[in-house]
Amino acid sequence: MRFLIIRKADDETEAGALPTEQLVTDMMAYTKEMTDAGIMLSGEGLQPSATGVRVSFAGGKPTVTDGPFAETKELIAGFTMIDVKSKEEAIEWLKRWPPIDGHGRVQLELRQLYEADDFGEEFAPAIRQQEARLRSHAEATRPA
Amino acid sequence: MRFMILIKADSNSERGVMPDERLLTEMGKFNEELVKAGVMLAGEGLHPSSKGARVRFSGAKRTVIDGPFTETKELIAGFWLWQVKSRDEAIEWVKRCPNPMPGTETEVEIRQVFETEDFGDALTPELREQEQRLRASAASGR
Repeated sequence: MRFLIIRKADDETEAGALPTEQLVTDMMAYTKEMTDAGIMLSGEGLQPSATGVRVSFAGGKPTVTDGPFAETKELIAGFTMIDVKSKEEAIEWLKRWPPIDGHGRVQLELRQLYEADDFGEEFAPAIRQQEARLRSHAEATRPA
Repeated sequence: MRFMILIKADSNSERGVMPDERLLTEMGKFNEELVKAGVMLAGEGLHPSSKGARVRFSGAKRTVIDGPFTETKELIAGFWLWQVKSRDEAIEWVKRCPNPMPGTETEVEIRQVFETEDFGDALTPELREQEQRLRASAASGR
């Protein structure tokens, strides 16, 4: 089962503070453990919402609003995608997140990802085909 | 530049209502366009927060809180990762996206993804090398 670990934003990430060398080192060690365990799929950090925008659709018409956005605690600062056997296994990994991140007060959210089969028999083949195309495209364009 | 496009949840996505055939078809076409344009890096849908959990850290303590979570409009129902030339290009693509939550007012958030060079001195040459190795090995293990 694939899960997304969402690292919630805080005042520091929203202020654009970059991680210290120690945090980068700890984070990398954690990522290496997940990679060695064969569960790591991808992970990225997001710039503060100040460089972001929101597009809202009301009655089909898009309205663009520039960041920053106010509800800091609900915003996202980064994500890690993992493939594990159960939600419990995922939660065990979450508990081992580097404790110095967020000065020991980090908030993580765990969310399961939909798989092609969840869309029903009629659509699963089309979705699988699209995923395969995307993967081969991504591999063909990946920098060496 | 890479951007993460966040599709916000609504009451239907939080109830686990799956998209209908029309939306799946339209999204399929839009995804094809993204792939052809070389924009699409990844795209996923998330199960409702009722299947999720939150872990809150406080010093040495870790508290696990099971979903569902109440602030529906702030939750995420899905995301894309796109490679584009500018933020404006990302906005133009989002404007063309089929409404992911038909029948309700939907919000899509566009956020720029950090690149290795953004991290400055904290990412020492050794750490940078390690980062590249990890990315390569995570990608090849899929």
